[in-house]
Amino acid sequence: MDYPLSVGVYHSMKNFYNVHTIWLLMVALTLTTYAVGQLGFSGLGVIFFVLLTTLIKGAVIIRDFMELKGVSLIWQLIMYGWLSAVCFAIATAYYISV
Amino acid sequence: MTSTTTKTETKLLPGDLAIWMFIFMELLVFGIFFIAYAVMRSQNIEMFNHYQLTLNRELGAINTLLLITSSYFVVRAVQAIRSNNVQACIQWLYAALVGGAGFLVLKTFEYSDKFSEGINLSTNTFYMFYLSLTMFHFLHVILGMVILFAIIIKARAGAYTGKNHTGIETGASYWHMVDLVWIILFPLVYIIR
Repeated sequence: MDYPLSVGVYHSMKNFYNVHTIWLLMVALTLTTYAVGQLGFSGLGVIFFVLLTTLIKGAVIIRDFMELKGVSLIWQLIMYGWLSAVCFAIATAYYISV
Repeated sequence: MTSTTTKTETKLLPGDLAIWMFIFMELLVFGIFFIAYAVMRSQNIEMFNHYQLTLNRELGAINTLLLITSSYFVVRAVQAIRSNNVQACIQWLYAALVGGAGFLVLKTFEYSDKFSEGINLSTNTFYMFYLSLTMFHFLHVILGMVILFAIIIKARAGAYTGKNHTGIETGASYWHMVDLVWIILFPLVYIIR
């Protein structure tokens, strides 16, 4: 059966997205964060970049490791809300201090 | 007469509801700690930037990898028990425990290094936050390991099956929370400046 290209890409992505690749993604993001620190990068852009990688890792843990995908909206709001609020507050505190 | 309705199934929270209430409370406390750190840093930028460089970034990164990997092992344990493979579940849980133990060993090494230099909670504001935040998390790692070990004992006694494994999901959720907190703690205390 012929699928449109977009469907094929979607299925490929879906097959690729599993706990093993999620773990690899988090390892890669952690090494990126470490490299940022090791290379001595600083400044608002770097802070936002590192916080963005943190946000991605946190969201992946909540969604795929804690398995909150598909649970009641209130619990998703609590968990993603906590993660977003903490990252936003940290970003704001650093932004103000620059 | 029959009618067709489209209904979106809402999945139940994995594990016991009580652990999620506990996780929520824990996250609130850690969240306040993180924000307090960021606010205090904004008032002492030079001091925080200076003493941040005295931390062992390599050990911090390795510890992050250990916790992420340990969390991954716990996911594999949950998958194994859902397939009714108790033996594999136990093995993955042991692997997760090794990851947690590795974290504790490295963190202890870090602490002993700092304590031998005479650093303590009253050295300065940065170290007050560094030590209290990481030690508070350290205690959570210990508690998480105790929970995982208790699950292993019950699993070995045949308490869990493919259909009855709420206890494993409960412990797994707590362990992921410990990981989630460190995911924020590491860049906040060790990296961003």
